[in-house]
Amino acid sequence: MLNQVWISLIVIGLLVAVGKDINDEARNTYRNGVPMTATLHVEEMPTAFRETWQGELIIPRETFDQFYGVQSAPSEFHQPITLTTNSSGKTSLILAVNDSTPAFWKEMATNSGDNKKLLGSVVSLHFSEDKSTAQISFVLAKLSYVKLRAVTRAALDYADSAVTISLGLIGVMALWLGVMKVAEEAGLLKVLTKLLTPITSRLFPDVPPDHPAIGAMIMNIAANMLGLNNAATPLGLKAMEELNKLNPKIGTATNAMCTFLVINTAGLTLVPATAIAIRAAEGSSDPGIIIGTSIFGAGCATIAGLVSVKLLERLPRYKKDLLPEPSSSGANNG
Amino acid sequence: MVELFRNILNIISVAAIPVMFFLFLGWGFVRKVKVYEVFVEGAKDGFHVAVKIIPFLVAMLLAIGIFRASGAMDVLIAILSPVSNLIGMPAETVPLALLRPLSGSGSLGLMTELMKVHGPDSFIGVLASTMYGSSETTFYVLAVYFGAVGVKNARHALPAGIIADIFGMLGALFICRVFFGI
Repeated sequence: MLNQVWISLIVIGLLVAVGKDINDEARNTYRNGVPMTATLHVEEMPTAFRETWQGELIIPRETFDQFYGVQSAPSEFHQPITLTTNSSGKTSLILAVNDSTPAFWKEMATNSGDNKKLLGSVVSLHFSEDKSTAQISFVLAKLSYVKLRAVTRAALDYADSAVTISLGLIGVMALWLGVMKVAEEAGLLKVLTKLLTPITSRLFPDVPPDHPAIGAMIMNIAANMLGLNNAATPLGLKAMEELNKLNPKIGTATNAMCTFLVINTAGLTLVPATAIAIRAAEGSSDPGIIIGTSIFGAGCATIAGLVSVKLLERLPRYKKDLLPEPSSSGANNG
Repeated sequence: MVELFRNILNIISVAAIPVMFFLFLGWGFVRKVKVYEVFVEGAKDGFHVAVKIIPFLVAMLLAIGIFRASGAMDVLIAILSPVSNLIGMPAETVPLALLRPLSGSGSLGLMTELMKVHGPDSFIGVLASTMYGSSETTFYVLAVYFGAVGVKNARHALPAGIIADIFGMLGALFICRVFFGI
């Protein structure tokens, strides 16, 4: 299943990216090479000695929307512009992205790989009599194969962030592994384990009731319940390591491992701290109102997850994964 | 009553870690464990575990990164819109439901945006934050937890995790419609 899902995410992603890019090329979504006309408002008149000058582009929204075939709010906007004339007389322009920049241009800036500005060149420039405004005609830098570029960038960025995330775990990981080791040596985990044996022996029938894995799993679930995310992951990994000691076939998940993982992915917590914090930051009159609803939602997820994990583990296709490799013995006949 | 419950939870979540340190390390000391030595002994595995996760997380995030950047999500939302309309899920929250199991930071961003646009106390705002609180980032948890012990064959963990996510999202929708529904 994991193999199929993994390859589907990649293949579907790539196919959609190619499809969107072909569509963009065919429809010329970004109007490559098509000049746009607008009013330019300049503070200071360019002279022969001035190579760079600044001004504002004034474009009515309707003109913009019609040009790109998009929908945006119907009012005119003022876009800061920097013009530079080089020695051969060609004028290039930079549009700095700010709050008044239309969403479509922002998107184009992001797609070009530079979030802050759009580049282009001037086709023609005619100043009015009082020299304060001009009719400008310009084209923006060609933008093509946007999605394929984005996919490439994302692949590299995400690979990078995987390392950042993993290495970021080292500190808390070491901290909790140290604390757990002390608790284990002191026999504290045994006490915890005994208390909850009636529940854990049902959930994890393959794990001996006094095994250290049970203690670590209880600690992990308790940390999750209290919304202590920093503690929950290291404790969960510790529990996985303990469960792996009971694993006859390293590299394949046991039933207990799958059950434990599903409890974690369902994420039952008494304190959905992140969601509450964001609600408070957005000015909610009652940020904590979602505690009850979240417990219900995550409770549904946990129950559904546990039921399905227990049913799925009986399926022959998952059962046969647990059998020893055929090469090691001839026990794989049934 | 609800207020009291909330306050208790708040105190517990603030005090839990200091209390755990005190209890575990203190108990160890009382039981004559060489606390410092044992702590260091346990902690030295931290680095190995973190490094072991890297290849698993790279593989998982690579697939999710490509999927998200390509815009395939928009296609999926379009396909699913008849279903979401049928069960009364607001169209705005469909992307969040789909992204929740894939990307923690991505779904956090979406939830924040929904609250900014619709207001945190609107139906969509409450539903979005409930959805966020009703599940974990299944793919990330799977990569990290199984990666730490080198499990490559996840067996039925992924289908069960996805079923849990679906029920989590449906549960969130149901309870929000009952209590805050329009």
